[in-house]
Amino acid sequence: MLILQSIGAAVERLAHAFGLYPLMMGKVLARMRKPPWFFSHILRQCEKVGVQSLPVALLTAVFTGMVMALQSWVAFHRFGAESMIATVVSLSILRELGPVLVGLMVAGRVGASFAAELGTMRVTEQIDALWTLSTDPVRYLIMPRLLAVIVMMPLLVVLADAVGMFGGYVISVHVLDQNPHTYIRNSYEYLELIDFYSGLLKAAVFGFIIGLVSCAEGYYCAGGAAGVGKATTRAVVISAMSILIADYILTAWIFQ
Amino acid sequence: MSADSLFGPTQVAPNCGKIIKPGGEIETLSYDQTVPKISLRNVHKSFKGRKILDDISMDIMPGESHVVIGLSGAGKSVLIKCILGLLRPDSGTILINGEDWFHMSIEERLKRMPCIGVLFQGAALFDSMSVWENVAFVLLQRSISRSQARQQADQMLEMVGLPGIGDKMPSELSGGMKKRVGLARAICHSPEIIFYDEPLTGLDPVMADVITLLLKRLHETMNATSLTISHNMKLVQKFSDQVSMLYEGKIYAQISQQELQDTKDPLLRQFMEGRAEGPIRFGYEEAESKRSAAGDNREAV
Repeated sequence: MLILQSIGAAVERLAHAFGLYPLMMGKVLARMRKPPWFFSHILRQCEKVGVQSLPVALLTAVFTGMVMALQSWVAFHRFGAESMIATVVSLSILRELGPVLVGLMVAGRVGASFAAELGTMRVTEQIDALWTLSTDPVRYLIMPRLLAVIVMMPLLVVLADAVGMFGGYVISVHVLDQNPHTYIRNSYEYLELIDFYSGLLKAAVFGFIIGLVSCAEGYYCAGGAAGVGKATTRAVVISAMSILIADYILTAWIFQ
Repeated sequence: MSADSLFGPTQVAPNCGKIIKPGGEIETLSYDQTVPKISLRNVHKSFKGRKILDDISMDIMPGESHVVIGLSGAGKSVLIKCILGLLRPDSGTILINGEDWFHMSIEERLKRMPCIGVLFQGAALFDSMSVWENVAFVLLQRSISRSQARQQADQMLEMVGLPGIGDKMPSELSGGMKKRVGLARAICHSPEIIFYDEPLTGLDPVMADVITLLLKRLHETMNATSLTISHNMKLVQKFSDQVSMLYEGKIYAQISQQELQDTKDPLLRQFMEGRAEGPIRFGYEEAESKRSAAGDNREAV
């Protein structure tokens, strides 16, 4: 009986927690039709999400490209197919590694920041104060963050793709003595536009997941400083897990 | 610091109710002065099966200074949050200026919000904005130039005895200064109903007296209706016209300030005199659980 009760309580908690996201989505959609849009806030959030995440995203991408080149060389060297390193690096980065790794980095950096900031505003009554000052907190706080992360994620991924492929080129050409012209030609010869677009689509979807989860966790935060800590942890963990699950679903849908 | 030195000549016009139209145009509404500014009828609110507000009914008339007293965890903050629309009551009706805000769209409610000013318990200043931007927040959302808004914010800061701190950030202020900045923000747009949520909590006795006198002065000059939540009997004595006591989720007494002073009711006397002995039941655990339940924001409007 006790076990059943525990399972029931866990299911209830889960349903309650995941009910927040559709609730937040509903609030955002209901407000999409009419102004005010708070454009200055959207730009400020774009700067925070995009420009400030650039070093983290690019560093992750360049080292991923370098590691991919080294690992691919080890495998292809056994078959004498080293010239395919460029294709494998490009395809992996454009289709998978670029959007997923940038998504995980942004979930850690921006998602945590959104949840902590909104959670602190909630527990210190700043969100209540916004309401009493004739300002809709969802429009003022949530929509700019959500839009910024959806718009900036694909841009970050484009730059991360370029830098990741460059990292692969540097290792292949300067460390593994590959021919630079052959490497560059093989990098794009076997690529299709869908490889690039699918990465961008994934990036936008991951941005939406990060924005929605972290904003909802922060906005509905309760329980003082400890509650803010829990909300921040949940925002990062749920965003990261959701990105990986969504990645599989999108990959299966796009490339079937 | 003398309290009188804080008060310059204030000329804050009472707000008769404003609706902000798209583009910043303001329509002034006139309300029937015989209609209660705030009216609650049979309001119930429970959290996780615990009754916090149990059949609360009260009327607050125009120009009245109404103070709600009660033990910690009695549901005072939940009451104010329900009136402000931050929590939805389980049942009952709440009318502000004769209108039921809970049956309005969010846009309609937000348009009516300028008639309200709120001083939060912890001041709730926006960390990312300077003091003057906090004070002029409502003005900055309208089509008013930043220089005009700044000028008005500086006037408000002077009125609450804090001239020249407009460029500071909230993190640089003491608790008492934050309270006064919060007060300046609450009155900057000349609201007709002002809510004070425990305005003296965390202040030293001198600052508490200064704020009490400031509230009294503002009440007289603005002719606004106010609803205050407080434990502080000095504030009740100096600032209230009507007093309601919340006890175990119900309105235990609703009387004038003078009647409160003269009352022989043992429960009221115990509360006023701050004695441990008497008829008041201290359900500490219950009060704390009510408090934590009330802190759950997952149903926040």
